Amino acid sequence: MDRILIADDSPTIRRMMIASLRNLPDIEIEEAGSGLEAVERLALGPVSMLFLDLNMPDIHGIEVIQFVRSHKSFAGIPICVVTTRGDEESRRMALAAGADVYLTKPFSPDQLAEQATKLLSRN
Amino acid sequence: MGQNEFNEQFFEQLLEDYFAEADEHLRSIRRHLLAFEDSLRDGFEADRKDINELFRSFHTIKGISAMAEVSAAENLAHHLEGLLRSLRDGNTGLSQDSLEAMLAGTRKLEQVIASRKNNDPIPPINAEIERIEIIHRSADQRGKAEPQQPGTPSRSGGSIKFRVFFEPSKELAARDLTVTTVRERLEALGTIEGSKPVIRGEGKIAFEFVIAVADGSDASGFDSLRDDGITVTAYMEDGPAPIDGPHDPDLADVEHIRPSNVVRVDLARLDELMLIVGDLVISRAKLSKKLAAVEDLLPVEDSRDLHEINQSLEKQLRNLRDGVMRVRMVPLAEIFERMRFVARDLARDSEKRVRIDISGEDTEIDKLLVERMVDPLLHLVRNSVSHGIEEPEDRLAAGKPVEGVIRLHAATVGDSVLIQVSDDGRGVNIDKVTERARDLGLLAPVDGIDSDLELLNVLCSPGFSTTLEADRASGRGVGMDVVKRVADELGGSISLETSPSSGTSFSIRLPLTLAITDALIACVGEQRFAVPQLAVSEVIEIEPGSIRTLENLEVIEYRGRALPLIRLSRLFSMPGDGRETVQAFVVNEAGGAVALTVDRVIGQQEIVINAINDPLAKVPAFSGATELGDGQAVLILNVSEIAKEQRTK
Amino acid sequence: MTLLENDMGETFVLFELAGTTYAVPSADVRQLEMIEHITPVPNAPDAVEGVVFSRGQVIPALSLRRRFGFPKVDYDLRSRLVVVSVGERSLGLIVDSAREFKRIPPGSISPPPETIAETTGKYISGIFSEDDRLILILDLTELIANGDEIQTESNS
Repeated sequence: MDRILIADDSPTIRRMMIASLRNLPDIEIEEAGSGLEAVERLALGPVSMLFLDLNMPDIHGIEVIQFVRSHKSFAGIPICVVTTRGDEESRRMALAAGADVYLTKPFSPDQLAEQATKLLSRN
Repeated sequence: MGQNEFNEQFFEQLLEDYFAEADEHLRSIRRHLLAFEDSLRDGFEADRKDINELFRSFHTIKGISAMAEVSAAENLAHHLEGLLRSLRDGNTGLSQDSLEAMLAGTRKLEQVIASRKNNDPIPPINAEIERIEIIHRSADQRGKAEPQQPGTPSRSGGSIKFRVFFEPSKELAARDLTVTTVRERLEALGTIEGSKPVIRGEGKIAFEFVIAVADGSDASGFDSLRDDGITVTAYMEDGPAPIDGPHDPDLADVEHIRPSNVVRVDLARLDELMLIVGDLVISRAKLSKKLAAVEDLLPVEDSRDLHEINQSLEKQLRNLRDGVMRVRMVPLAEIFERMRFVARDLARDSEKRVRIDISGEDTEIDKLLVERMVDPLLHLVRNSVSHGIEEPEDRLAAGKPVEGVIRLHAATVGDSVLIQVSDDGRGVNIDKVTERARDLGLLAPVDGIDSDLELLNVLCSPGFSTTLEADRASGRGVGMDVVKRVADELGGSISLETSPSSGTSFSIRLPLTLAITDALIACVGEQRFAVPQLAVSEVIEIEPGSIRTLENLEVIEYRGRALPLIRLSRLFSMPGDGRETVQAFVVNEAGGAVALTVDRVIGQQEIVINAINDPLAKVPAFSGATELGDGQAVLILNVSEIAKEQRTK
Repeated sequence: MTLLENDMGETFVLFELAGTTYAVPSADVRQLEMIEHITPVPNAPDAVEGVVFSRGQVIPALSLRRRFGFPKVDYDLRSRLVVVSVGERSLGLIVDSAREFKRIPPGSISPPPETIAETTGKYISGIFSEDDRLILILDLTELIANGDEIQTESNS
């Protein structure tokens, strides 16, 4: 059973992403509405991959990536960063901090599912 | 499910969510822009917190607009976000120009989203983008913005800092102790200056917060945190930002969204629930009646048990009904704030100085009513600003303060909600209105306007209020017929008071769509009537000997004063049942208490209120009809209306 | 609607009132109900007998006898409440009986003659002549217009 964690402060986006991924086989989906919540989810159970919005309340997405990559227990978790058009700067920083791939809004349910499948299969 | 079907439903849901979330963010944006305006006017810099939140709001709208494929909104939000970034980084300062650009952009953004919602053509956004570009260009030329008068609220003066550690676990989460809830509790105690995740011994994740609490404030709030296993220690150095790493400058108490604790509900589903609850209420009433009928045929114990069960059921239904009702009720605060924004907007377009005072904003009304009230309130507020409040010179000449005041007030009065929009402006010019009404054929040449009520009728007649020239001179503008129509449709009423010295006040009274209420059932003649319990302060018995007649008015002595009597049998032209002693409802009305006599009160029960919508059957004395379980319609008395009408006779 | 139906005309619901037959388009008729209990509404216009619940809604029950100035009679088993919808409004019309549906070709409806009593005249939009009877087609919009009060000798 793979656990996908979706971190985005917009309930609209979260709902959309969950609906897009629901049909993938053998997965569980968790959601978080802020950077700290995302980290908390990591603390409370194993996570197979992370979809991360960058601009969230409390701590910034980049900080989450840095935290994750600097600790043995989570260092290997695949991270897909979700950005908007015109956010090239943040995207570069995210990749430099250790994110694996990025998706730009708008993306289709299929694109999301594809990304998830790819990243999950790495494990 | 076929691929196409899935995509369509999927997109529909996405759009629905999009509009709801965009609306929330736009509201927040309006609030913060108002704060900018205040800052600008008072000569302060823009508050960091406002800047950050505005930035995030525009950024989020950009993102969800992209997903919802509303590219005009995405584009506009992108530019607005850029302007906010510029503000945050100090490349631009808060000025009249930059504020105007933000306001214009936000307005257009709202329009774009609304157009998408209504499937109307999307308006162009070039002008607003250009405006923002101009700000950027002039900023580039100028170099960094000049610092203005210092004045951002200081957070460090006179405060003590604490370091708080929270280690999450499944057990704590089960007790609702999550990083989110802990954060919220901390926000209630003071200002959070920073937060970050940390790793403690054995690789356990914890969260560290630094919180500043005002000097001398009660530290007992921390005790409850400690009781829940959260570590709170004094923060040693009082230095610069204690949290390192890249983060938004000056992270303070940012508004927090709790993703899993909020559910968005379709109003239609709530309507369904209400209908079901209504049916339950009727069924239970029928059950009660049957129970009463068979009680004597049962063994005492069974009868008693059934009775108890019935009572529990009644109580549970009541709770259910209250619960569903509460879900639908929203405070008027939101809609009032929107009006504030509108008024400021309008005032800005002219030379006028206008202030909005709001009171009673916690008054709650059904969500459906809120939506319907937006237009009428918009009209009233616009009218007040455009035609009511005078130019500064005129106000000074009239001995009024330069700043005009528009007051929005709401209150629950008995079984209605009262919403008032008043201004201290020049009042309605009755002569001009009369003249125009005659011109339009609404009044005969010899007729005049003799009362505020007549004035209201004229102002609200479609012929009058849709005239393009409903202008300054007449003191009121377009849209009054909309106000009246909506009030009528909702089963409410409007009234008006005006004078050149004290301004104009419009009141809208709306019945609370509490579709179910407790009522007393009474007989007048052969007919049953229902009276909402809330409207009655007491039920009294009246001996015939105790009635006195004073100048054609019947009164009785009641708690040391004379209480006027209104015989409903007479009012309804019914034969009374000839009895000597009657009962009466004591009703407190604006003008004083009044007693409405009935033949007898026969019971009390919960009723489902049905509106009487057709004009042929609409009579002011009745606020609706209900059904007591036998399918027959029973009229619901509008006691305050009856009392009022009688008083004016 | 097939061509055949088109030729044959619109369907009407026919009802009797004081010996005369009237018709309303069946498209406007929601329901035909027996008269159970009509709750009087004090101080409502004279022609409004009261209100009833119909499909969960409270609607006025209009006495067509009163409206047309005919003497009032007691209800019997044949009396009917014809529930009609006009625009946003729903109302019930109290009639002596209502049993027939009839298709009337549009070409055969003539304008109302001058000789029809003034009181009912304004509510009639046309007339259809059949072997042994005249069917008066009602103008529902006129009929339910608000504020219309007919003063006749039989009103009391």
